[in-house]
Amino acid sequence: MVSPIIKATGIEKYYGTYRALSDISLEVANGEFLALVGPSGCGKTSLLKILAGFEDLSAGSLVIDGKDMAGIPASARPTRMVFQKLALFPHKTVAQNIGFPLHLAKRPKPEIDTAVRRMLELMHLKESYLNRYPHELSGGEQQRVALARSMVSQPPVLLLDEPMSALDAKLKKSLQAELKHLHRHVGTSFVHVTHDLEEAMMLADRICVMRAGRIVQLGAPSEIYYRPADAFVAGFIGDTNLLPAKITRAGDGFRFACEILDCAEPLLSADQVAPGVAAGSEAALMIRPEMLRLLAQGENAECTIVGTVNEYFIRGASIQYRIAAAGTEIVMDIPGTSTLPAKQGDAVRLGLALGDLFAVET
Amino acid sequence: MAEIQKTWRDGALRLSTLPLLLLMGLFFVIPLIMTALLSFQGTQYYRLVWTWDLKVWTDVFSQIHYWTIMWRTLMMALVCTVLCTILAIPIAYGMLHRLSRWSDHITLLMVFAFLTDAVLKTFGWVLFLDRSGVLNGTLEAIGFPPAAVNVLFTPNATMIGMVYNLLPYTIFTIALSMARIDGDLVLAARDAGASRLRAFIEVTLPLAKPGIWAGAVLVFVLSLGVFLEPKVMGGGTSPLAAELIRQSFETRVNWPLGAALTLVLIVIGAAALTVFGAVALWQARRVAHD
Repeated sequence: MVSPIIKATGIEKYYGTYRALSDISLEVANGEFLALVGPSGCGKTSLLKILAGFEDLSAGSLVIDGKDMAGIPASARPTRMVFQKLALFPHKTVAQNIGFPLHLAKRPKPEIDTAVRRMLELMHLKESYLNRYPHELSGGEQQRVALARSMVSQPPVLLLDEPMSALDAKLKKSLQAELKHLHRHVGTSFVHVTHDLEEAMMLADRICVMRAGRIVQLGAPSEIYYRPADAFVAGFIGDTNLLPAKITRAGDGFRFACEILDCAEPLLSADQVAPGVAAGSEAALMIRPEMLRLLAQGENAECTIVGTVNEYFIRGASIQYRIAAAGTEIVMDIPGTSTLPAKQGDAVRLGLALGDLFAVET
Repeated sequence: MAEIQKTWRDGALRLSTLPLLLLMGLFFVIPLIMTALLSFQGTQYYRLVWTWDLKVWTDVFSQIHYWTIMWRTLMMALVCTVLCTILAIPIAYGMLHRLSRWSDHITLLMVFAFLTDAVLKTFGWVLFLDRSGVLNGTLEAIGFPPAAVNVLFTPNATMIGMVYNLLPYTIFTIALSMARIDGDLVLAARDAGASRLRAFIEVTLPLAKPGIWAGAVLVFVLSLGVFLEPKVMGGGTSPLAAELIRQSFETRVNWPLGAALTLVLIVIGAAALTVFGAVALWQARRVAHD
């Protein structure tokens, strides 16, 4: 990584005796989109506030844009924040809101005007909005104004604190697409806090999964999805099947025994086993719902599961099956079809490629 | 958030306002009408005579003395309002943001001071400000000449007493208004590069305006009617309107004159309030949100 824009080393944060963050070390590359993901209370917002300068760190060091941030107040940091509740100034017009950082920096008026109009265009906001007040805009428009305000002075780092959590699903999707486009366009580093791993996977170059004040896993979206560090990360998105299994070393790879899963050759390669499992921890085999398929009569697969259909949900593009197999419920997503391949109570056989399996720590 | 629109068509609503209407009618509207009627009567040998003439009113409008007092009252009220507001803004802000850990204790102390009888507090000030009182004694002890502070029984002492007694109204209304401001707005200003002072001027102050105006109106109305402070601390040397009205009723036993002066004070107050109210409403509209 060439000169990271953010370099955090061993950051700790205590509130009284409560340890909110422990040993957080991470680097964000210039122009990278990093998502901080985790359940509420995992410390992701605390970390963001430390980056912004709203909170002091108890231990460790933080370097942003080549400067140590110790003792530097929020107002002097090279970061800008997009707040969860947007925090638009209700008594200022859209133009005054967007131009506020430049107004504070005492830039000449024509320059502010030009910058505000440029942001307006970038955010697809109408010029007639300039003299309106935030409460006269819709939720999505307010969102764009908040983004415009934080981007107008072209900060090297943009911090986003779940700014889309209050929006309805459809608007969220379109704004997510816009945010990704914006990131590509401006080349600013984004640090985006969210509890929605799906959103993080859509947007981010890398995802940092946090739990109880620690980093659990830091990696590319596909890594998080297909090679989760443990059952917690694996279960963080969607309906994931985790089947308890016994893993034993066999030469270069591993042999597994799982009573639900019937495989001709129950062998895993070394990269199909999480490091913790290789060291001997309790393990489970992770199977994403879309990895499974319905087998026709007489058809075979590397691994099979036999069960009966409990329930199914037609979702348009896909059909989700919940299948009872040896006392466990298996979730399967298959591409949607006009004719239902199996109904409630039907006995079914599911197929799976051996290479799709991944063993996680439990 | 959906707001239920209430109309006067709603019978239950009309019924529920009845007690208040009765109360206001009995103790506000009727006395006001009686006062107005009283101002058209006369007095002879300390007795009320039903004359129905404008004698009292011609009296009021021809005597410059009354208007001097009215003008002084208005000016004192305005100065007191400005002082209370200017003092209360930093106090309220400090209480909420700088001394937030102690804000409950400070509030409690202020409520105690506020609820203590005004007569006691005002006489307390007399003991404090007296030529040989606590303040001068202390100053003398640290090397100042005797009786260095000599404000007691002057209009300045009246002002000290008024500001002291009325300051809590502005502190409470402004603090209430400031407490309602979303803390993220101040953080957003800081994040955008504003110093603490700048964030206060750009965000906190404009958003606290409704409270500032409400406090100012409250103090203004109350300070138009003060009589304790000018009498006890001002020494009665420069009386204000309330004292003039009291004298008309009690000392001179001229009820029609007292009634007329009361109406004059009410009109002055109402006129000032209309201006205040119009500005406050305009401010509130600009800050309207959520």
